[in-house]
Amino acid sequence: MTASPISHTLRPLAVLALLGIAAFPIYWMVVTSMTPSSELFAERPNLLPSLGQISIYGEVFRTIPVARWLWNSFVVAAGTTVFSILLAILPAYALSRFRFTGIAILGFALFATQMLPEAMLVVPLYSIFGKLSLLNSLFGLILANTAFVVPVITWIIKGAIDGIPLEVEEAARMDGCSRIDIVLAIVLPLIAPTLAAAAVISFFHGWNEYVFAQTLISSEQLRTASVGLASFVGELSTPIHAVMAVGVMYTLPAVIFYLFAQRYVVAGMTAGSVKG
Amino acid sequence: MKKVIRGIMLATTTVLATAGYVSATFAKDKVTFAAAVFAEAGRGDRVRAWIDTFNKGQDDVEVEPVAIPFSSLANTVFTQMGGGGGPDLIRFDQTDFFAAIPSGRLLPLDNLINEANFKFLAPDRFMKVDGKRYGLLFDTTGYALLYNTKLVPTPPTDFETFLKDAKAQTKEGTFGYAYRATMAERAGFWQDVTNFVYGFKGRWSDGKGKLTLNSPDVVAGIAAYKAVYDAEIIPKGADAATYRRMFWEGKIAMNVDNGGVAAIFNQNAPDLPFKVAPSPFPDKAQGLIMTALVINANSKQPKAAAKFLNWAYAPANQSALLQAMGTNVGTDVPLTPEQTAARPWLAAYAKAMENALPQVVQGFEDKTPEIQQIVLEQVLQVLQGGASPQQAMDKAQALAERRVRR
Amino acid sequence: MADLRPSEVRLEGNSWTPYLFAAPVAIYLILFQFYPLAQEFYLSFTSTDLLRPDDNPFVGLDNYAFLFEAGDLHNVLWITAIYTVCCVVFAVGFGLLAALLLDAPFIGRGVARALVTIPWAAPSVAVALVFTWMFNAQYGIFNHGLRALSLPFGAENWLDNPLLALPAILFTTVWQIFPFSSVVILAALQGVPHELREAAAIDGADRFNIFKIAVWPTIQPTVFMLVLFVTIWSLRRFDLIWLMTQGGPIGATNTMVIELYRQGFVYRDLGSAAAIGMIGLTVALVVTVIYFKVTLAAERAQGKR
Repeated sequence: MTASPISHTLRPLAVLALLGIAAFPIYWMVVTSMTPSSELFAERPNLLPSLGQISIYGEVFRTIPVARWLWNSFVVAAGTTVFSILLAILPAYALSRFRFTGIAILGFALFATQMLPEAMLVVPLYSIFGKLSLLNSLFGLILANTAFVVPVITWIIKGAIDGIPLEVEEAARMDGCSRIDIVLAIVLPLIAPTLAAAAVISFFHGWNEYVFAQTLISSEQLRTASVGLASFVGELSTPIHAVMAVGVMYTLPAVIFYLFAQRYVVAGMTAGSVKG
Repeated sequence: MKKVIRGIMLATTTVLATAGYVSATFAKDKVTFAAAVFAEAGRGDRVRAWIDTFNKGQDDVEVEPVAIPFSSLANTVFTQMGGGGGPDLIRFDQTDFFAAIPSGRLLPLDNLINEANFKFLAPDRFMKVDGKRYGLLFDTTGYALLYNTKLVPTPPTDFETFLKDAKAQTKEGTFGYAYRATMAERAGFWQDVTNFVYGFKGRWSDGKGKLTLNSPDVVAGIAAYKAVYDAEIIPKGADAATYRRMFWEGKIAMNVDNGGVAAIFNQNAPDLPFKVAPSPFPDKAQGLIMTALVINANSKQPKAAAKFLNWAYAPANQSALLQAMGTNVGTDVPLTPEQTAARPWLAAYAKAMENALPQVVQGFEDKTPEIQQIVLEQVLQVLQGGASPQQAMDKAQALAERRVRR
Repeated sequence: MADLRPSEVRLEGNSWTPYLFAAPVAIYLILFQFYPLAQEFYLSFTSTDLLRPDDNPFVGLDNYAFLFEAGDLHNVLWITAIYTVCCVVFAVGFGLLAALLLDAPFIGRGVARALVTIPWAAPSVAVALVFTWMFNAQYGIFNHGLRALSLPFGAENWLDNPLLALPAILFTTVWQIFPFSSVVILAALQGVPHELREAAAIDGADRFNIFKIAVWPTIQPTVFMLVLFVTIWSLRRFDLIWLMTQGGPIGATNTMVIELYRQGFVYRDLGSAAAIGMIGLTVALVVTVIYFKVTLAAERAQGKR
């Protein structure tokens, strides 16, 4: 691709602008968490964090069970990721390769479920979970989150499978592979980038989910970070420094997860041929 | 690929094993106590410590405090109660308390606690509906004028002087006053409007089953609210958390607010020179904040919960609770001179409570949220939409009557 | 390669296989989504209190009637429509631009891609708090910036102004959701055949035409699917709006989900909330049907090319 000198400088600038927009509010969270209370209402805003205030992070870590919250959030997010991908692979394959009665219904049903707001479902879900003894457990929360995420990633994985030429599978069938083997050993590696994307989507959903985490979990030991953060917003006052500090601590692990998931994408690309 | 699958299996098992962890059973009866205050900066830890003294002092019952975010306390707990579960003990604010009663979700307490043993404060009478007691007054406070003595040496005693003082103080980054005027803070917005309305002798209903949203006194209160808005003396759009912080950083001169806020100011800025005076309105009546400590009708441990209640209302423990909360508690607690000196605002607020009225619409308690929404939207029309107070309140009256008739 | 339709291929196998493949998901969804949905459908015809969800006196169409008459429904639908359309256009558009920018190789690309997911990773509560603070009329950084640029405005009450509240909420929402589009489109971009790109470049096509001929056809299905998902999700987005404006001021940001939440959890009227939910579901269904018709027509047109 011929690149002109203009685009050579334009591209990096555009990328920087993009990163700036994406990261600025988080940067602002960092700054706010470290701006002394008296300077929050100054005439000229502090654009840089006052590094002397960095002790707030240590303090927050000590006095507030942030580590436990983050761990619970991690368990829920990881569980949602694993569960939803496992559940989604087979239907995605079926939607892509098979024509059978009910496939249209399944496909449409997967969409229909996305139209339901969590607020609407939480009341009946609470009583179903009560009957199944799934209340107040992270496992129950994982199940609830998975139900919401599976439709999206099923469709995304289906889209990726659509792009794999059938000759590849037919060749494997000639060799006598069973359908399951084909799916696991041949199809999956070829859609690695999409699987990584699916993993990221499920992880982020489980990580940030609030409504179910709030209602289905009643013990403080099992509280996730999303609910923990909300509990700071008090009746009478909000400790803005602590809230922003916890907010920053809450954002970083998910970003790091994406960094790792991305590595896998790159490895997946160089290992197998995706481009047809 | 096989390695990856094995890795996934291992990960799944680990995750599920951790997630399925079940906590060990305790020898004591466990009772959960849900409240928003446990997560509050400063106060939360003190109240938790107070509960801890109960837990350490006996071997039969253990109370587990559960902090629930304030903004979603009602939704969460109501959903859980409706589903047959929920915490054993809950601290509800008045709107939610009155909403929960007709649905039978609160355990009547008449058999579990003997009233004669305790000297409840006057607002405790609201805990009884149709002769049955549904809750115990947990903490209560009134509204009064908090003012920064450096900016306003003498507090105003009537509304005109108040406006004048506030205008004089609005300069160079400082504001004369602050209140809520955004839907994002619906509950607090309602409290502030109610104070103005009560202060101009208005009442939301006549107590006999008729709404009086457009009575002349109520309209006068709304007009006063608008006068403050138009005078440009408030940081418009600021939420309460922000302007309370501005107050203790010395950027706001006056603020009508409740006793809990006075405690917050003192805690965050011990050197802040502020005092408390009666609100600068024609009528002494102001809003009353009261929270109720209730037992969930679904609770499987009512006797254990009752044990905690009896302990909580013993005079010594009430005194400790007052120190922890910073506001008045359910019973009358005599204060030592040192305690009074440490919290000089308590006396002023105790006086304000004498004339205080609940902030629910009397006779329409469980419809209050809908009436709130209607009234506040009309108030916003007055403040930002250019409607006249009379017009707006007539509309509110019509809409509200239609709603409550349903 | 992507033209091969699955329907034109007959893969041999056990005829039970498709059903076995689809069964786990079907059971799962029936239990956790459809059963609650059916319950909500029933509830919408009753008068039910949140605190007594099992007590459902039948009231027929009363909830719906009241909503249409006195429930300000046309404002809610209008706001929801504007919000949804803007979210989709800006979030998918911006996401596409970001994905294209991050597709070409450059140093630090991996880190850049990870940083772009920050908005998505940030928890809604913190995002709501920090943006509310940034929009603050007196001290917010946005207004400081506007004033510094000597622009005529700079003391706006963004979230408190009936005209500016929706744009402010949209800005915050698009910021939070565009990374999702980027991630998905980036994954799809990996499937663009190298040869096609090179061939187009050798033919002397400029950047825009390379995109039109080589890139767009491959990612088009993905982008269309994204549009559908983002549309449906925007119809039900709750957190940010509730935390920042609760539907105010004066209904300027009162979408369907906000109204649903208020009916169900503030007024405790589960019947009316379910009714709004059913109306929302109908809207979403209509949107989905229209979407399928449009994409089917577009695919047919492409097939003819």
